[in-house]
Amino acid sequence: MPKVKVPRKSTAIDMTAMCDVAFLLLTFFILTTKFRPSELAPIDIPSSKSEIPIPDKGILKFEIASDGRIFVGVDDQPTRLALLDKISKQYNLTLNGNQQDAFRLTDNWGMDIRQLPTFLSMDANERAHFAHPGIKVDTTGGEQQLEDIILFARQSYDLSPDRKDGNDRLRIAIKGDKSTQYKAFDKLIQALQNRKVNKFNIITSARTAKE
Amino acid sequence: MAEMNTSESGAKKGHKKARSKKMSTRVDLTAMVDLGFLLITFFMLATTFNKPKTMEVNKPAKDDDKKVEEPPIKMSKTLTLMLGNNDKVYWYVSPDEIDANTQLTMDSVDYSSTGLRKIVTTRQNEVQAQWGKKDDLFVMIKPLPTSKLKNTVDVLDEMTINGVTRYAILEPTDPIDSLVALRIGQPRK
Repeated sequence: MPKVKVPRKSTAIDMTAMCDVAFLLLTFFILTTKFRPSELAPIDIPSSKSEIPIPDKGILKFEIASDGRIFVGVDDQPTRLALLDKISKQYNLTLNGNQQDAFRLTDNWGMDIRQLPTFLSMDANERAHFAHPGIKVDTTGGEQQLEDIILFARQSYDLSPDRKDGNDRLRIAIKGDKSTQYKAFDKLIQALQNRKVNKFNIITSARTAKE
Repeated sequence: MAEMNTSESGAKKGHKKARSKKMSTRVDLTAMVDLGFLLITFFMLATTFNKPKTMEVNKPAKDDDKKVEEPPIKMSKTLTLMLGNNDKVYWYVSPDEIDANTQLTMDSVDYSSTGLRKIVTTRQNEVQAQWGKKDDLFVMIKPLPTSKLKNTVDVLDEMTINGVTRYAILEPTDPIDSLVALRIGQPRK
């Protein structure tokens, strides 16, 4: 009986289709990706049933770390520059072009406003590793830096070209850690209410089944 | 002579036209695919896929904004929740009139569906029995300074789940609140 011969096949596979798929996916991810903004402190956000998506544009985001430090960030760059302009006028800061550029590229920050020029004259690497002490909150009626930032950010957004119509105001989003104590959160809310902001959003994650 | 030789040798090789060697059009794509998938992996990991959700909070405007005084709410329509440590929520119902003989019960529950949710639904039914409308229930949420943000969010969530339409985050300024805070051993201010 003759042996059945298995025909030997070439091990080379046609990669064209696979290559096509790979690059299709790559294109998709490149186009849809939005890089995670740098985090100044690890923040583990609480979960909730709420399903309102966070708006893409026009938000002033406050972050409260678990130790109560408050950081702030505006999402779009023209508003950031306008905000810096107003801050430097109010606090008599003189900033050169490089410092302004550095501020334009800073996603979020948290320090005494008077420390800003020093921070902004550092190089990019130093800025990335800078330990932000948190925005100075004075509850005794001195300088109201937090209030000023809120006011100036809202004013800046009102002048921004991205704004759709007169009703489009800067929205306030608060991202707090699960274990942030209410007193830190309350300080921020008091500041917001002093600036007549009574509506804001708390950033939460979708609740999973086991929670 | 050499030229002659080459022409001769070319003629010897055959009468075919001299053709350039036909190269295969197939390129080895393995490396390209590797690179493609490497980049995909990078973008997949760097991207933030599930966009965080938000929870809307409306705080009552500060008093100096409005001159009109609202009539005080009947205490029997309310439920007060104070957020304590260790994921405990303390609740009490303040009576309409407080006199020397008033007895107040305060209890603590957790944030689970058998804890806080049960209290809220019980209270909703009580209000419905007494006042005829479930929506009349007014929940006063009073976080203490050391309460965790997670618990505040949990309570607000519970309001949405139970369909409580009237609730507010308030400061624990009521005299009863200070007693409760004292009792549970947490600072009120």
